Amino acid sequence: MAESGTNARGLILERLRQSLAGQSPVFRDGMRHDELPAIPTAVTNAQGDPKTLANLFGARLEEVQGSYEVVARADVAAHIVRRIEAWRRSADGHPAEFDGAVSWDPDEIPVPGLEAQLRDAGLSLIVPDDLHNSACRDRAAAADVGITGVDAAFASTGSVMLASGLGKSRAASLLPLHHLLVVPTSRLFATFESWLAHERQEGRLDDFLRNAGQVVFVTGPSKSADIELQLTLGVHGPGTVHAVLFDDAGM
Amino acid sequence: MKVDVGASYDTRVAQALGDESLRTALDRATRRLVERRAAAIAAVDNTRFRNEAQAVRQYTIQHLPDLLEELERNLTANGCHVHWAQDAEEASRIVVEIARQHDVRNVVKSKSMVTEEIRLNEALEQSGVNVVETDLGEYIIQLADEPPSHILAPVIHKRAEDISELFQQKLGMAPSNDPAHMCSVARRELRHEFLRAEMGVSGCNFAIAETGTICVITNEGNGRMVTSMPPVYVAVAGIERIVPRVEDAVLTWQAASRNATGQDVSVYFSLSSGPRRPGHADGPDEMHVVLVDNGRSRVLERGYGDALLCIRCSACINECPVYREIGGHAYGKTVYSGPIGAVITPLLADDPLSACELPYASTLCGACRDVCPVKIDLPRLLLDLRGEMTHRGGAPKAERIAMRIFAAAARRPRRFRWAASVARMVTSLLSRRSHETIDALPPPLSAWTKTRAFPRLAPKSFHKLWSERNG
Repeated sequence: MAESGTNARGLILERLRQSLAGQSPVFRDGMRHDELPAIPTAVTNAQGDPKTLANLFGARLEEVQGSYEVVARADVAAHIVRRIEAWRRSADGHPAEFDGAVSWDPDEIPVPGLEAQLRDAGLSLIVPDDLHNSACRDRAAAADVGITGVDAAFASTGSVMLASGLGKSRAASLLPLHHLLVVPTSRLFATFESWLAHERQEGRLDDFLRNAGQVVFVTGPSKSADIELQLTLGVHGPGTVHAVLFDDAGM
Repeated sequence: MKVDVGASYDTRVAQALGDESLRTALDRATRRLVERRAAAIAAVDNTRFRNEAQAVRQYTIQHLPDLLEELERNLTANGCHVHWAQDAEEASRIVVEIARQHDVRNVVKSKSMVTEEIRLNEALEQSGVNVVETDLGEYIIQLADEPPSHILAPVIHKRAEDISELFQQKLGMAPSNDPAHMCSVARRELRHEFLRAEMGVSGCNFAIAETGTICVITNEGNGRMVTSMPPVYVAVAGIERIVPRVEDAVLTWQAASRNATGQDVSVYFSLSSGPRRPGHADGPDEMHVVLVDNGRSRVLERGYGDALLCIRCSACINECPVYREIGGHAYGKTVYSGPIGAVITPLLADDPLSACELPYASTLCGACRDVCPVKIDLPRLLLDLRGEMTHRGGAPKAERIAMRIFAAAARRPRRFRWAASVARMVTSLLSRRSHETIDALPPPLSAWTKTRAFPRLAPKSFHKLWSERNG
């Protein structure tokens, strides 16, 4: 129901219906579409085994100023620690609060022992529970590193998809200057369209979007070309995005 | 010289053409965008891509009322509040009222043409709300207190030096022309705004009817901030922004990305289907969607449904040889420039004649039609609009008089031949050499030569050649 006091809704719909009824065809090329068009085909293409797709994903991510590595499952946590330490060393001019990483709940990141290894390296994980609480918000906003898993990744464009959820804050992939993506190859699809087809067929697409509240596709670091079309990174979101991919078959 | 958007069309164009730095900036920017788009399009099967995107958009417009109802139903089921607004004033009033109900003092906005169109910032500011534009380009022009000049790259008309000066003045930045430095200064300023704002406002690139989802495209991440950080989120959507299915949104997102900036996809594509769910750490506690007509149903009523297919990628603008010379401000007090702006500005207006010059801001070269990802035949629409303007008395007075004189002469062969021989004599007197055109005619004919050269008539008329040949 319309919440507006006036009858804008009725008037708009009525005007549209009358205009459409009075015109056939509506368009100058004479096209009519009485049925929904077929589901669109894939715009980009990718194929191959998980390993090929992982490397293609990485190559595409590099083209949009991201970086990646494909590592063995047992080494994932160590590589994450090493990457964060590299970022800490280069953190010039940034606040000294660089003492933790804002993260998804470790249970949502399929890397055994991640939290323990980070703790051993002197890094604590901040898992925010309410960004509208100012103490929680300030803590999350001070972290320079964010760690998240992915709900899906797409090889043909180097994109990932992140859904909001319990223990899966938006802040972890948005507020810090550096974003670390943990990508198990079981979540890797060739294209957006192959993922959509899969979800549609399983009958999950609708619930997936609605239950998340927000779903976001991310392709590389935050960027702008507003000033003379010169590329600048890290405008509002992370200025670095690094993906650690690993084969999780059999997990 | 700055282009005064409130001046007459002729003045605006003259001001723009006289502004060297504007023309340099325009040339640099549009050239780069055109090259990048061409490369991104060459990488895909563009014929199929365009056909599919056009079919989705055409289906949508043809079934707009049903899809709007479906969208409303699903948004409501997702916990959103849906509002309808017939015009700019009503739309702004709805948003101001939401702000008032929540005692909002600070609003962060991500770039949106529809909120420019309804002049939302003015309305919010008048009710005492501080509004901050968070797209870097929009932030810059807000600081400069100027309107945007391009729907995608709002500061296309400014050089790095100009922006640096502005930041030094308004933000106390140390002198630097380095875009990366200016960007980090803006990040710090705007981060503070994102975290303190009680309300976020965005436009809507696409609204998915089947799931009740609002899609926002950004590269900077301000779209994510605005839709995620403040406790109240308001999306303002033109009623034609719908797509039926999730797959259609993913298609049109890719079409917009490739054609706008030459990216495979934008950095961020945020799909919001309601307020944050119980137990979630972030996201708005309240989500509102304002569906704005503001002339769109009239565009359909006036028989220009094609114009509603537009997905606002701005490829037509970058390709347009007229836009590339004069820039967005020369199109006047409209938020839409270039070929698509020349079509929808008069159509969205209460009185199309208020923007009757705009359909003439085109050479009808067809570049816009050739690049449009949803295959809008823009030259055809521009021609149809010119025809309507003329019928409604929108043609300039001098042109009307000239046409009446021509009609009187052309109706009678003898009178026509006499008039033609006089014209031949006059034009040959005015242009000394045979190949020359005439650059200046006396008033009222100067109205023609002010903007165009007038050709000298051939020494012998066709009529004369014909009779000589056939004895």
